[in-house]
Amino acid sequence: MPGTSVLDDIELIIEDIGGGGKPPASRNGGDSGGGGSRVPGSSSTRKYAIAIALAMVAILIFFMAMVAAFLVLRRTSTNWIAFHVPVLLWFNTVVLLASSGTLEVARKRQAVSDEKGFKRFWTVTTILGIVFVVGQVIAWRDLVAQGIHGSASLAVAFFYVFTVAHAVHLFGGICALLYVGFRKFRHSEVTRVAAAEVTSYYWHFMDGLWVFLFVLLYLGK
Amino acid sequence: MRALFSANHKSVGLRFLWLALFSVMLGMTLSLVMRAQLSQAGGVYANADRYAAITLLHGSLMVFFVLTAAPQCGFGYFLVPLQIGAREMALPLLSGLSFWMSAASLVAISISILLTPANGSLLWLLGVTCFCAAMILASLNMAVTVIELRAKGMTLPRLPITVWAWFVTAILSLLIFSVLVASSVLLLCDRLAGTQFFGLTGILITATGIWQRWFWFFAQAEVYVAMLPCFGIVTHLLATYSRKPLWSERIAVLALCAVGLFGFCIWGEHMFASGLNPYTPLVFSMLASSLGVPALLLVICWLGTLWNAKTRLTTAMLFALGFVSLFLSGGLSGIFLAKREFAGGSTGDAFVTGHFHLVMGVAATFAILAALFFWFPKMFGRRLNETLGKIHFWLTFCGVYMLFMAMHWIGLFERSFPPGTVVRVHGLSGVVGVATIATVSAQLLFFANFFWSLTRGESAGARNPWRSTTLEWFVPSPPPSENFQGGVPVVFRGAYELGVPLAGEDFVPQHLAPEQVAKLL
Repeated sequence: MPGTSVLDDIELIIEDIGGGGKPPASRNGGDSGGGGSRVPGSSSTRKYAIAIALAMVAILIFFMAMVAAFLVLRRTSTNWIAFHVPVLLWFNTVVLLASSGTLEVARKRQAVSDEKGFKRFWTVTTILGIVFVVGQVIAWRDLVAQGIHGSASLAVAFFYVFTVAHAVHLFGGICALLYVGFRKFRHSEVTRVAAAEVTSYYWHFMDGLWVFLFVLLYLGK
Repeated sequence: MRALFSANHKSVGLRFLWLALFSVMLGMTLSLVMRAQLSQAGGVYANADRYAAITLLHGSLMVFFVLTAAPQCGFGYFLVPLQIGAREMALPLLSGLSFWMSAASLVAISISILLTPANGSLLWLLGVTCFCAAMILASLNMAVTVIELRAKGMTLPRLPITVWAWFVTAILSLLIFSVLVASSVLLLCDRLAGTQFFGLTGILITATGIWQRWFWFFAQAEVYVAMLPCFGIVTHLLATYSRKPLWSERIAVLALCAVGLFGFCIWGEHMFASGLNPYTPLVFSMLASSLGVPALLLVICWLGTLWNAKTRLTTAMLFALGFVSLFLSGGLSGIFLAKREFAGGSTGDAFVTGHFHLVMGVAATFAILAALFFWFPKMFGRRLNETLGKIHFWLTFCGVYMLFMAMHWIGLFERSFPPGTVVRVHGLSGVVGVATIATVSAQLLFFANFFWSLTRGESAGARNPWRSTTLEWFVPSPPPSENFQGGVPVVFRGAYELGVPLAGEDFVPQHLAPEQVAKLL
């Protein structure tokens, strides 16, 4: 085995700002992992955006696996009794859709540096999100009070599983809303604008997912 | 103590390896118990329930905490930032979280065997769900790190093939573990809330236990989650020790991606045997067989790299070659199993047991050992003893072939009788028993080597003992907490510029600028 050689003594060329796989010069070509349009220093924002995008893929697959089971069992199972979704869910849906709207208004305010307006609409969004989850809890309690349990029929079981799983994921979104709303972003590597943007992706995704699940439960009864 | 709770990628990686080491010891002890049980007619050590629980624990420990966690999270966490020139993982919080969730899951799964079957299976299921969630977090973290934190100049074609493998595995595990969580949530609902998803009118209408249904639903893709990082590690080692550029590197990378893609599509394969109505058996069977194509391409790349090479037969290289051999022989018996008629009604017999132990368990373990011998100096600043390592290799290599080839024969022999006939193959069973004991005892040699080298081993000496080109070998061993002092390195070339004469050496490190090379020439 050769001992220490001149190659070992050559120090690494160290760059201060990090990240991204951009080639040092154009001649190096190749695919650089989409580095072209990147602004130096924005890497940390992109990092969270990519993370949330991948997380959304994972969540989508999680729900789609269950949707596949839902669609198959709806046709094949003998234990499928038609079940009408509670009326309260219509109200909840409107609340959640409205929250996506207020979130966008908040971000618009943020874009024009209207910090107060941002705070106001961001808080409204958070409250609407909480109202949605509370509404879901009331809907479950009503059902349980009527004696409609998950063991009654697979249709009911799927209703509970879908709504609870969605509510749990949405709860994560509410935590993110609270975090962005209340944290002071003075010494952090991300700005409030970036954090709000990443949160908005997730929130709209949860919104869209809810609409999909609601339509599925409504039509699939 | 601080290292125990740190979210630094290196300490998380090492903790995953310790977790795997613990699981391997426990899992191997259980396999001895199982062999002892099988060697006695009627079984004297445990009743059928207890035996099934032991088998389940052995399988879950080995598959989840050794084969899945060690190559992907253990070596992956430790090496990905070092190899791509980053200071830390993209989301250190997730690194720590994924480790502690895995550790909690290991505790739950191990304890489950001590409880009553009903409570035990529930706890086991909770443990598995927790592990899946941990793996989703880990793969998310890994994928973001590779996409976003590569050093300047570390373009995709310049990534070491190990990083490619970890990246593809991360994407694959993100997909399959999400499905796994979905079905375990449904199963948990059945157990806790009285729903009937898996009941008599539910998803899988079979008389077998939930374990088998549950297991095969994902086991096939899981095989690739375990195997892909091993492919990467072995390919990297073969090139490094052959002192030749990796033969058709691009094809190797494409083959890795294809394995990941097919691996995700193939899960229906095992359903032939487990009772789910196979919607399209032909498609799955074709997919299973077509997986041979990327696998074959990889083998060709390995052989092309080894062709005419002046290989250095270190212990790490021996284990890498052992992997190639085991993968080939395991893959050959797999061709039979890709045929539907052959696989139907055959789960649980000795042929299948032999097949998947050879191709998945043992081959992957060989890759893990190869990686450990290769990166041990980087991790601990000391080297494992080569002589002991080589003895350990040969004993293990001969042992596992004796063991699992005999198992294949027993399986074939049993098949030659009509189903339902109780056949006891005494001679071969004896061979299996002896080989098991020999192989397991050979591992003691490894443990001795490992723990001895950890404190007393020969110091790693030169920074780069294997004359490798990748970045991790150009920082001190063990690496400092931020990996590269004061920033991140710049990369100028691919990872396999080997066999190039330069300054009395035969390789060009990835970080050497063209002007520096010109000066040395």
